[in-house]
Amino acid sequence: MNDIIIDYIKQQLLSGQVDIDLSPEEDLLGSGLIDSLGMIQLLAFIEEKFEVKVPPQDMTIENFMTVEAIGNYLERLKTA
Amino acid sequence: MDFSWPENYTQYRAEVIAFAKETLNDDLVERDQAGLFSRQLWQKCADFGILGLAAPKQYGGKEEEVDLLFSMLAMEGFGYGCKDNGLSLGLNAQMWTVQIPIAHFGSDAQKEKYLTAFTSGQWIAAHALTEPNAGSDIFSMETLAEKTEGGYVLNGKKHLITLAPEADVALVFANINPKLGKWGVTAFLVDKGTPGFTALPTDSKMGLRTVPIGAFEFKDCFIPTENRLGGEGAGFSILNYSLEYDRCCILASQLGAMERQLEETIAFVKERQQFGQSIGKFQSVSNRIADMKLRLETSRLLLYKVAWLKRNGKSALMEAALLKLQLSESFVASSMDAIRSRGGIGFLTATEVERDMRDAVGGVLYAGTSDIQRSIIARLLGL
Ligand SMILES: Cc1cc2nc3c(=O)[nH]c(=O)nc-3n(C[C@H](O)[C@H](O)[C@H](O)COP(=O)(O)OP(=O)(O)OC[C@H]3O[C@@H](n4cnc5c(N)ncnc54)[C@H](O)[C@@H]3O)c2cc1C
Repeated sequence: MNDIIIDYIKQQLLSGQVDIDLSPEEDLLGSGLIDSLGMIQLLAFIEEKFEVKVPPQDMTIENFMTVEAIGNYLERLKTA
Repeated sequence: MDFSWPENYTQYRAEVIAFAKETLNDDLVERDQAGLFSRQLWQKCADFGILGLAAPKQYGGKEEEVDLLFSMLAMEGFGYGCKDNGLSLGLNAQMWTVQIPIAHFGSDAQKEKYLTAFTSGQWIAAHALTEPNAGSDIFSMETLAEKTEGGYVLNGKKHLITLAPEADVALVFANINPKLGKWGVTAFLVDKGTPGFTALPTDSKMGLRTVPIGAFEFKDCFIPTENRLGGEGAGFSILNYSLEYDRCCILASQLGAMERQLEETIAFVKERQQFGQSIGKFQSVSNRIADMKLRLETSRLLLYKVAWLKRNGKSALMEAALLKLQLSESFVASSMDAIRSRGGIGFLTATEVERDMRDAVGGVLYAGTSDIQRSIIARLLGL
């Protein structure tokens, strides 16, 4: 799951900068890597790709800070 | 694919049109010139049930839960029947950018207190986001909410806020920790009369003159925790959630206005004779009418698509940006064509054609300028 998200971020949100080293623990928000439109795009991608619906109230820094946090959140969402 | 509407939807749209035509269009030239907001007309809209289109039945709403397609079609009818685009903007702004966020993110106590008072017309609400130094780049906002015992202390300024001078309540966005950027943005419900909260005098403007616009100032304004809407940092999500509702319904009323404008322009060019024939027979004139029709129908398709996507729980990022750009720019272009088609009298205030032009300009600026919509579209295309 993490690899799919990282790949999407590199390809779509960072204009195909595949050589960027993006680890699952990288702070996506503080580093300014993803802006607000990018975050909404990422959300739409996640919903479609993993066939989930992220309730608006779950769009929090805790759930979206890193790729790892997103992955953990999605696991919880799927098993809930 | 099915483009037909259920009968109860079109029936209600017809009722809204009849109500608006009969009740809301009197003295509009004078009210527009004087820049007068009518709380009386607002109340009539509330009594009819317009504000209830954006709230669940439990809190004065029309339906058990808000049905976006139903509400959108009703607000399209509203824009068609009501020539007062200012009133229409004010109602839509409260409904989609204040009521809907409260309906979704509010506590039961907040819903009970605020939604019921909004749908009944007792209180008016404003959505306070834009700041002097943060417009398109909204997440760089400077209004701060400092956490303190039992709540937050707000300091900052909001400007260009629809209904601010009339508002009994403001939904205010402030940052609890600027280091967190958008994830620090938090929403608060601020009641009129709260110490440290001031509404500044109405700003004069070129169009939409029947709805007041103004600024708010916050100076050491204490807001109790119970007035926070959603969690700390939920502002980004709240804005994102209400944006597409906002686009569908504010723009739906503009679509209705464009339809009315087209019908009136057709009637005029058929009637007006020059060189021994209707001016509509001159191709230069009829081409303009054809362009107006094309703008109307392309805007309509985009609007209905966005509403349909939202109703089916799908993302409508690209479509909403295309819609905002197309519909708002079309209203400006068609308003200009409506004036040209009248000749000189189109320039006169009493003809009530130039007002749409002035009103339409607001639409290419608020809720994301056309430049911003283009840049969203380009980004989504991978540029
Ligand atoms: C009638 C009306 C009602 C409004 N009601 C409300 C309301 O109720 N609540 C509220 O919070 N706000 C409201 N606004 C404010 C509105 O949302 C802002 O005016 C709008 O977001 C633009 O911000 P700005 O005015 O600061 O312009 P700026 O962001 O300073 O933009 C100035 C110019 O630069 C361009 N620009 C800026 N950034 C970019 C970029 N990245 N790419 C390309 N071009 C760019 C813009 O398109 C524009 O041409 C209202 C505005 C109007 C006109």
